[in-house]
Amino acid sequence: MSRRLYIAGALAALVAGAASALALAALARDDAAAARPVVLAAASLTEVLPRIMSEASYSFGSSNSLAEQIRRGAPFDVYLSASPIYTQALYQEGLARKPVAFATNSLVVIVPRSNPAKIKTLFDLAERPKLRLVVAGPKVPIGLYTREVLKRLGLLEVLKKTVSLEPDVKGIIGKVALGQADAGFVYLTDVPPVASRARAIPIPARAQPTVVYELAIAAKPADLEAAQDFVIAVLGPDGRRELRASRFGLP
Amino acid sequence: MRPTPFAAALAVATALSLAFLLIPIVAIFAELSLGGLVDGLTSDVALDALRVTAETNLVAMALIVIFGTPTAYLLATRRFRGRALLVTVIELPLVLPPAVAGLGLLAAFGRFELLGRTLYALGIDVAFTKVAVVLAVMFVASPFYVRTAIAAFEAVDTDLIAASRTLGAGPARTFARVGLPLASGGLGAGLALAFARGLGEFGATIMFAGSLQGVTQTLSLAVYQEFDVNFENALAIGALLVIASALVLFAAKLIPAWTRSASTSITVSAPSVSR
Repeated sequence: MSRRLYIAGALAALVAGAASALALAALARDDAAAARPVVLAAASLTEVLPRIMSEASYSFGSSNSLAEQIRRGAPFDVYLSASPIYTQALYQEGLARKPVAFATNSLVVIVPRSNPAKIKTLFDLAERPKLRLVVAGPKVPIGLYTREVLKRLGLLEVLKKTVSLEPDVKGIIGKVALGQADAGFVYLTDVPPVASRARAIPIPARAQPTVVYELAIAAKPADLEAAQDFVIAVLGPDGRRELRASRFGLP
Repeated sequence: MRPTPFAAALAVATALSLAFLLIPIVAIFAELSLGGLVDGLTSDVALDALRVTAETNLVAMALIVIFGTPTAYLLATRRFRGRALLVTVIELPLVLPPAVAGLGLLAAFGRFELLGRTLYALGIDVAFTKVAVVLAVMFVASPFYVRTAIAAFEAVDTDLIAASRTLGAGPARTFARVGLPLASGGLGAGLALAFARGLGEFGATIMFAGSLQGVTQTLSLAVYQEFDVNFENALAIGALLVIASALVLFAAKLIPAWTRSASTSITVSAPSVSR
């Protein structure tokens, strides 16, 4: 009697184990299934990419940490970076195929609607001693471009007013839109989604860095066809129209 | 004795659970060289983060104890309508996503929000300061202390409290001389748990306090920042957090045992209340 009970118990455990393994496998396949490419993309593409292709599994973040995740073995089909540095590096390292430029962008200064520090031009940033500036780290593309702008204008000193080093451009947007920070450097395309809470102050053309977005298919994508479909959608007329509608430039 | 299939199944399940939990932790140490650990922990980022974490957690834990202990005592010793609701409010941060906690703190203490505006007018500037880190840590860690403290006060023999009162001690004196010492083991364990949670606090802090080296960047935030800047540093700080958290958690298990002998001796040496 009790022996039969044990056998039943062992069987139940086996069934439970097998069922959970199957469930996990199903979950894993669900992510990759139905020709859904796994897309790792720069945070500044958060709004526009799903409009171009809703049938993709997106992970948005700073281009540099996404590149680092790829180096650590994160599975992906397409990688889209806000700077050619990271796509080219992955291409050189044999982790991605030949990168293609697909969009350009420019930088603006963003301030809360109420503009507590009364910033009217970029140069006011240097004139406000108690300014709360948020920027991104030096390896994040937006952080890189920010330093380029300030260097060209001889305003690198402004960086001393940094109150928070954000992991990606969306962190900057959030802190400024909520009024916690007085100003931040972001992409032009980041402003429309938060237009009700923040506004942009232009940066002189002579100080604008060249912001080029590149995409690259993984060296060994899980689903090459899905990856190619995605790339075609981004580079094709629909993609170009959506990018332009979101105020990206085209290369 | 031959192990029964049931015992074998238990052992296998336990081994699998342990392996699943241990592998990622062991992997951190496996990727880390001793030189990398030393370099990482002596880097400016790590040292600054350690200082910020220590300062903010110390203040947060002190405030949690000062305000949490009376709260727990009240909830443990009184029964009233709405008590369950109150306990739920206290426990809510346990299950709240940290991002929601960060959002809530921003909505309350943000510069243009209700409390933040008042504080700002009083000359207290919370945003992007250590005060913001302390608030975030307090918000997410206090339930760990208060919950354990309620249980600790509830476990104190009510006869001892009654005896103290019949012997002429007022409620405050009874709390200080009987309730507190007898619950001290549980209180210590609760504090250790809260501290362990405070050490690991990430989501609410990065949303509410931001991340700036030497000011608001705690160890957990430093791991995140260093992930793509200097992976070795991230591993080293990660290893430090693993060890520190493990020690604190282990202490939480030992503290009640250390103090138990003291509390039982009180019971034994108080024959008048033995039943």
